Amino acid sequence: MPEPPYEPDATIPAVGAGGATDLAMEEGETPEQRPGGGPRGTGTAEPGRARSLWSDAWRDLRRNPVFIISGLVIAFLVVISLWPSLIASGNPLHCDLGKAQEGSQPGHPFGFDGQGCDVYTRTVYGARTSVTVGVCATLGVALFGSVLGGLAGFFGGAWDALLSRITDVFFGIPVVLGGLVFLSVITSTTVWPVIGFIVLLGWPQIARIARGSVITAKQNDYVQAARALGASNARMLLRHVTPNAVAPVIVVATIALGTYISLEATLSYLGVGLKPPTVSWGIDLSAASPYVRNAPHMLLWPAGALAITVLAFIMLGDAVRDALDPKLR
Amino acid sequence: MGRYVIRRLLQIIPVFFGATLLIFLMVNVMGDPIAGLCGDRKCDPATAARLRAEFGLDKPVWQQYLTYMGNVFTGDFGTAFNGQKVTELMATAFPVTIRLTLVAIAFEIVIGISLGVVTGLRRGRPVDTGVLLVTLVVISVPTFVTGLLLQLLLGVKWGVIRPSVSSAATVDELLVPGLVLASVSLAYVTRLTRTSVAENSRADYVRTAVAKGLPRRRVISRHLLRNSLIPVVTFIGTDVGALMGGAIVTERIFNIHGVGYQLFQGILRQSSQTVVGFVTVLVLVFLLANLLVDLLYAVLDPRIRYA
Amino acid sequence: MTAATPAPLLEVRDLHVEFRTRDGIAKAVNGVNYRVAEGETLAVLGESGSGKSVTAQAVMGILDMPPGRITGGEIVFQGRDLLQLREDERQKVRGREMAMIFQDALSALNPVLSVGEQLGEMFVVHRGMSRKDAKNKAVELMDRVRIPAARERVGQFPHQFSGGMRQRIMIAMALALEPSLIIADEPTTALDVTVQAQVMDLLAELRRELDMGLILITHDLGVVADVADKIAVMYAGRIVESAPVHDIYKAPAHPYTKGLLESIPRLDQKGQELYAIKGLPPNLVRIPPGCAFHPRCPLARDVCRTDVPPLYDVPDGRGSACHFWQEALHG
Repeated sequence: MPEPPYEPDATIPAVGAGGATDLAMEEGETPEQRPGGGPRGTGTAEPGRARSLWSDAWRDLRRNPVFIISGLVIAFLVVISLWPSLIASGNPLHCDLGKAQEGSQPGHPFGFDGQGCDVYTRTVYGARTSVTVGVCATLGVALFGSVLGGLAGFFGGAWDALLSRITDVFFGIPVVLGGLVFLSVITSTTVWPVIGFIVLLGWPQIARIARGSVITAKQNDYVQAARALGASNARMLLRHVTPNAVAPVIVVATIALGTYISLEATLSYLGVGLKPPTVSWGIDLSAASPYVRNAPHMLLWPAGALAITVLAFIMLGDAVRDALDPKLR
Repeated sequence: MGRYVIRRLLQIIPVFFGATLLIFLMVNVMGDPIAGLCGDRKCDPATAARLRAEFGLDKPVWQQYLTYMGNVFTGDFGTAFNGQKVTELMATAFPVTIRLTLVAIAFEIVIGISLGVVTGLRRGRPVDTGVLLVTLVVISVPTFVTGLLLQLLLGVKWGVIRPSVSSAATVDELLVPGLVLASVSLAYVTRLTRTSVAENSRADYVRTAVAKGLPRRRVISRHLLRNSLIPVVTFIGTDVGALMGGAIVTERIFNIHGVGYQLFQGILRQSSQTVVGFVTVLVLVFLLANLLVDLLYAVLDPRIRYA
Repeated sequence: MTAATPAPLLEVRDLHVEFRTRDGIAKAVNGVNYRVAEGETLAVLGESGSGKSVTAQAVMGILDMPPGRITGGEIVFQGRDLLQLREDERQKVRGREMAMIFQDALSALNPVLSVGEQLGEMFVVHRGMSRKDAKNKAVELMDRVRIPAARERVGQFPHQFSGGMRQRIMIAMALALEPSLIIADEPTTALDVTVQAQVMDLLAELRRELDMGLILITHDLGVVADVADKIAVMYAGRIVESAPVHDIYKAPAHPYTKGLLESIPRLDQKGQELYAIKGLPPNLVRIPPGCAFHPRCPLARDVCRTDVPPLYDVPDGRGSACHFWQEALHG
């Protein structure tokens, strides 16, 4: 009987069938091109269809009804924020005390609020404030957070430690509480203090995520290889690390946009956010709450608009996350 | 384990001072700490100067902060606008808010976890989709809107509850406010539990448990849930602090005389001692809750405990 | 070599398993037949995606359904078709009569329960023992798989053990109730080369002691030679060759087996280029017509592209699913 070709003590790793496949695969295809398709290694091979993360995500999104609906709602909101007069001909600041708290009537489908202002017009104009606050705060948060977090993650060391401590401090302050304290001393009636406050308390969240994903990306083999080949820091950050860290930041920022709108309304409801004459759902809700008993319509319309807006952004963020991170499905 | 606890304790010290310093600066530098002391009028310059000297406000800010913190650690939080000690206000306000928070946490645990487990085990079924949709809506509607609507429906229209809570604030009065306070977190707990259960139900060790011939119930309770609930428990723990801070809104809607109410009064009357005092305690609670969660995490997950 | 012909312990007959995937129905197992006698060791060989693990999971009853679905066949174990049993009856078979050893012990063991609890659980659930007795049993088992200082380590968690020790714990768990069949799914693949042999030897030794049947799933031909009685080679969800272990090394009767053997590096052929089977394993959603191996086969002719080869009888109780098995055997 011949000796089987097996030497347990040999240091050569046993290359069985698996090895044979790997070798065979070098004939023109990279492993990434074989989508892990079916369950447990039903190795599907589809040559010539290399898909990137983004095109793959986009293909998924276009078919996702949640994405389409929330995208349409957001598009509508953006349009009426830019040109509210498209669907509301009145002036949100033009009020007639004589009609205060009156209900729905021709030409005024949502009725009047406590000051006799047209609720429909104010609800439409309120979108502009909410969208402005949401978009500006998110841009600020994303910019500050990803730059600070990304650099800390990339360079590590003392900068990273310092940033981590600073983010800890900001996480130590409950948001609504902080808003109450910080904004109560401000008398400006513009949207900027509120945006500034949200950026101030919001950036650490994005910074943590950006830091985490940069650290993960940095450890990828090809980034290590680029480093070994002498790529400069700037080049590595731009070409290799950033593209991988962008996806999670986008996802979190989209969802955060919704929550910022909600936060603005909450602060305005508490009386420390936006102040009249700014037209905001939060202000209107705050004004309406004492009259809930007699004139619930004053509360319901802006509340509905607010809820739909926040919902649209959160659903959009959810859909984008599902598309970018198939693992979570 | 011991070293881990000490390291975490040391870590929260700078965070505590950083956060309280931030608050202190906001109130005392950007605001006007003596504005509330002369009643509704503006203080005349002579009185203002006297008051400033009396409260040490003519000293550099860092010195003021250190003095204040020194007082705080001896249990002196100063006096509120009406001459009451801030600590007395705390003694009446905190029990109410703590009760409210506990009611909210109970809702999160009972409703949130059950819904999460049920949906996590039935992914893609109608129950799952339905619950998921409801949680999305709950997350999207700001808490104060949920609160106002529930107050309108249950309190005003149907008369199931009293629209505002009495000063005794008993637990049964706090049920609806507690649900309102919990609502957003409740939705998060549901989603988190669902994801965690669904993810873990595909884990190798669950398959091992099945292969061992364990009954389905035991596979779920002992193997699947024991692992899936670790992130959920930590979320709920962190939420204790966040809920107490966020209770302001709920307390305002239902007119509950808790921490949020006192804080609000403090802000309205520009009583900086009240505001800084309450916020300092809340930040401390928030940080301690987070610390406790980290320790809990280590207890629940041996991989951390023995790392 | 195998004694006489003992009674069959397990017989898989014409098993078919499908998976629903995003790209369509993947036919993971397409009519597999194999038998394991009591005390016999069958090695099932194949690349990943050949259906060897799926077949084992179907036997064990731990297939993920959905997306998996058993579309046909029988799994006769100790005279009963397991596929006809109710879930609660099936559950009593698992662990007690047949047990499984998984590839990656670190993920297959529960990270938050001590190894003692996980081992003892077998006795608590199946034998109704008290937790204290079960713990003693766990220590006994750990001794048996030669884990040093078992009594001290019984309360430790999986991540505190080395890879080899963890795999020993998996083996201990499978042996706990002395089942008559053990399925080992690549039990040594995740281990260091130096530890592989120790773990494999331990498994083989304990199997002998307890006279259990063993299905050893592997893609490593080297592991098989010392341990197995018979080999079944799988490709694209079918058995393409089955034979007693040493015959296959001497003279494979299927070009795929031949390719596998030639791709093993050998110490006596240093400096030669390593052989590789050309092409890729088939996409299970679109398995090639005729013989699934034909696109990669050096012997392929027109008939291979159209006719699915049956498992031809080859002398000495062997089988080969190749139209040209004689050529493969003698070529």
